Formats: sequence, C-alpha cells, structure tokens
Amino acid sequence: MAAVVLGTDEFAALARAEALGRGLPQLPLVTVPHPIGGTRPDSVRAKAALVVDEVIQALTTAPGLSIPGERGEEAETLEAPADPDRLQAWVLERGLGDGLPVLPPTPERVKALLAGARRDPDEVIAVLPPRLGEATIRTLAINAALAGARPEHLPLIIAAVEALADPAFNLAAVQTTTHPCSALLIVNGPLAARLGIASGAGALGPGPWANAVIGRAVRLALQNVGGARPGREDRATLGHPGKYTYCLAENEAASPWEPLSVERGFAPGTSTVTVCASEAPHNVNDHGSITASGIVVTLAGVAATSGNNNVYLEGEPLFVLGPEHARTVAGEGWSKADLKQALFAAARVPLSRFSAENLERFAALRPQWFQGASADAAVPIAAAWEDLMVIVAGGAGKHSAFIPTFGRTRSVTRRIGE
Amino acid sequence: MDVLNPCGAQTRRFKPLAPRPGDLAGRSVGILDNSKPNAGALLAGVAELLAARAGAGSVRTWRKPTSAQPAECLDEIARSVEVVLTGSAD
Repeated sequence: MAAVVLGTDEFAALARAEALGRGLPQLPLVTVPHPIGGTRPDSVRAKAALVVDEVIQALTTAPGLSIPGERGEEAETLEAPADPDRLQAWVLERGLGDGLPVLPPTPERVKALLAGARRDPDEVIAVLPPRLGEATIRTLAINAALAGARPEHLPLIIAAVEALADPAFNLAAVQTTTHPCSALLIVNGPLAARLGIASGAGALGPGPWANAVIGRAVRLALQNVGGARPGREDRATLGHPGKYTYCLAENEAASPWEPLSVERGFAPGTSTVTVCASEAPHNVNDHGSITASGIVVTLAGVAATSGNNNVYLEGEPLFVLGPEHARTVAGEGWSKADLKQALFAAARVPLSRFSAENLERFAALRPQWFQGASADAAVPIAAAWEDLMVIVAGGAGKHSAFIPTFGRTRSVTRRIGE
Repeated sequence: MDVLNPCGAQTRRFKPLAPRPGDLAGRSVGILDNSKPNAGALLAGVAELLAARAGAGSVRTWRKPTSAQPAECLDEIARSVEVVLTGSAD
C-alpha cells in the first residue's frame, strides 16, 4: 500500500524526523504553505490543488532517496574547546544546549557522575522519541554533566526518564506538540530533603537548590537523546520557561494530607518522582477567603478557562496548594478527596465561553459534555474528580497555583532507586 | 578537550517503502485523517483531484480520534485500499 504524507512547510522537519524514527527514511512528504488549521475551506482547497501533481508523482514512482546506513552511529567522543566561552558557543552551534551556560561533559566528570548510580553505564533505560535515541545510564550522566547536576542526583534523573518513557505519558506527542508543556518533576519522600530539592518558599525557582540542575538534566536528555530540538522537532508555538527546568518537591511537612506518592500506592517514606506534561503555573491569589469553599471558588476560577487543553482533552490538571490555603481547606475537616470533588464540581467552563467552531470540534472529542448540552451548561476540566491532582508546596503566603497539562497524557510515578 | 556526546546512539531499523503502482487509474484511495482542524478537508480535496486528474477510484476515510495518539486502524487500511493519503501538521 503506497502512502504519502501531507503536511505544512512549518512541520516538515518534524515529519522527516517522525518518518526516520519509524524506519521510513524514503516516505514521501508533500508540503503545503502553513497553516491549514483555522483557515477557510476555499483556502484549503486551493492548497490541495497546489500539490496534487506532486502527490501523484509520490504515489506512482519509486522514491528518489536511498536508504541510509542501518544504525545512526554518533561519535562517542567529541573535541570541544576548553575555554568556557568558546565551549558555550560550540555547544550552542551544535544544538546541544538550552541557551544557558553548560559545564563540559568530560570523561572525568561523567565518570564521577556515574558513581552516583552504581549501575551498568550501558544499560538502556528508555528509547526516547522522536529521534529514538537510546537513553543509557551513561548518556543520562553526560546530560547531567552538561546541566551541572551532581552524582547523587543521577538516580532521580534515571527514575524520571523511566517514568517519561511509560507509554501512558505519551512522550512522542509531548515532545513534538505545539502546546507549551514540559516535563514537571514532583519529588516525594525523604530523598528530596537529602538532595536539597526545595519544597517550600520559591520551590518553582529560582534558588540555589538542586531543583534547577535536576530538571535541566532531564530536559537536556529529552532534547539531545530524544532529538526534540526547539523550533525543529519540538514544535511548541511559544514554549514556557519551565522547559529550561521544572522540578519541585512536595512540601510534605507542611501538608495536612497524604503525599502524592502515598495516593499512588507507595508506602510512606518511599522516595518517588512523578512526571507530568505540564504548562507553566497559573497563579491563584486569595488573601481574603477563610473557608474551604471560599478557596475552592478562587482555585476553580483560575482553572476553568476556555483555552486550556484539559477542557477538551481531559487528563490530569494539577492544583499546587500553598500550605496556608491547604490549612484553610483541611481546617474544616476536608480530605484531599473532598477538595478534589469540590473542585470538579466548581471548576467548569460555561459553554458560552467557547466559539461556535470550538463547540463543534469539542463535541466530537467530549460528546458527553459538549453534544446536545443546553446553552447554560458548563463543562468540567477532567473526566472525573479522581483525575484532578492536588499537592502541597511553597512557603508562607496566600498563593497557590493551577497547572494544566497537555491533556492526552497521564502522569507517571516511579520509585527512585538509591 | 575531549567531551562525551550527549546524544547517544539511535535505535532504528530501516524498511523500504511499499511498491508504487505505475499509475492511479481505478486505484482505491484511503484517507487517514489525523483529526487536526482542516486535515480532512485538505486530504479530501487532494483525493478528489486524484480522481479528476489521474482517474483514481473510490475513496474511503479513517479518522484518528486525536492527532496525539498513534492510529489503531493501520492494518485495516493496508488491507482495504491501494494508496493512502495522510497528514501531519496544523
């Protein structure tokens, strides 16, 4: 069966990488001028007419490209400048960095990092899309070295990459989507304090704690091993600052509730990392409410918006409660489940907040909420209250955060091996 | 200064393309719509023109529920039609 892929010119690099990842370097790609989404039908038809001859050619004649060598061999060792400024320029020229200064992944530094894991450096932890690069323990240590992470951070970085590769996370889509999502790492258990990962004031950064380099090591691995290069295979329209690094620990000491890891079935005291495909945090400022239901009104007001992915793709949006808001809610005897149920009922977007085109589109995706609903109906931001995630983090102050996700993704929790 | 390559090896096994028919006259055409807005319209527009310009035959359409997940109907498509149009983009 002969196939041809049509795409827009903006997505050509991604389509090529996907074809290569699927082992089809010769797959014909025919491009039309971007965009086709959000344009009028006559413009789409005109674009079809532009490329029909090319499509006929691609479907009826043998491919021009030959199949390259079986395995994409990369040199294991590269010669880089020792001068820090020239090293930085060298890294950026090769697309190996994120724009911030890196430390050199010399054999000596990588060897020191590997001592933090005490595992076979050649062990393949995951194969990361779209490039299908092999994330071995060594490769992760090399990216950790670039990011400035320390040997004791490596087991957490490994566990996070294992979690990201779980099929439920849908990494191939997360890596290449136009949506601004990044791998948020939520650390639970005693390891967080031992590694100096902040859970309190300013936990989402910046600060002189381990959050920055751990999240960055994972991001660099996704970019370098996974081959999701910004503006090329990573198609994020805007991206967000959490794509440099996005890591915090749950503030278990200040939380009135069981930690996320315990909700996920791990014994108390187990150190885990949970990965989510998350947008940037949206702040929830509430200095006034002194009741649980009052806090819920404000949380729900921030969460229930027309333009987030969860409202039409569902998934597991995350509420990060500041300890003071959490205490106000729990002070009335509310469990975490009580809060989630109240949020599920309250965080709803009225249908009047969606355009006619989006109502039609979303009805196909969430018929139970969008199809045949009355004009004054409102839709929740998840399929069920159990899908809402709640953690406690941050320090003193009357702020919480709402963090929507990519939607077609599930968060994944893994125990951190030590 | 020697540094280690942060990209690592790639796992990939290359496959050749399916043989191309010499022409499209009477060939059945499949459309795999990835459900992105207007993807179906573009592909249907091309399929219509394939019939008009190259005599292509009947058209059958499959639609992924979302572009964010792999299609589950690939085997069925391969059994059902002779050539396929699909897409990737916004």
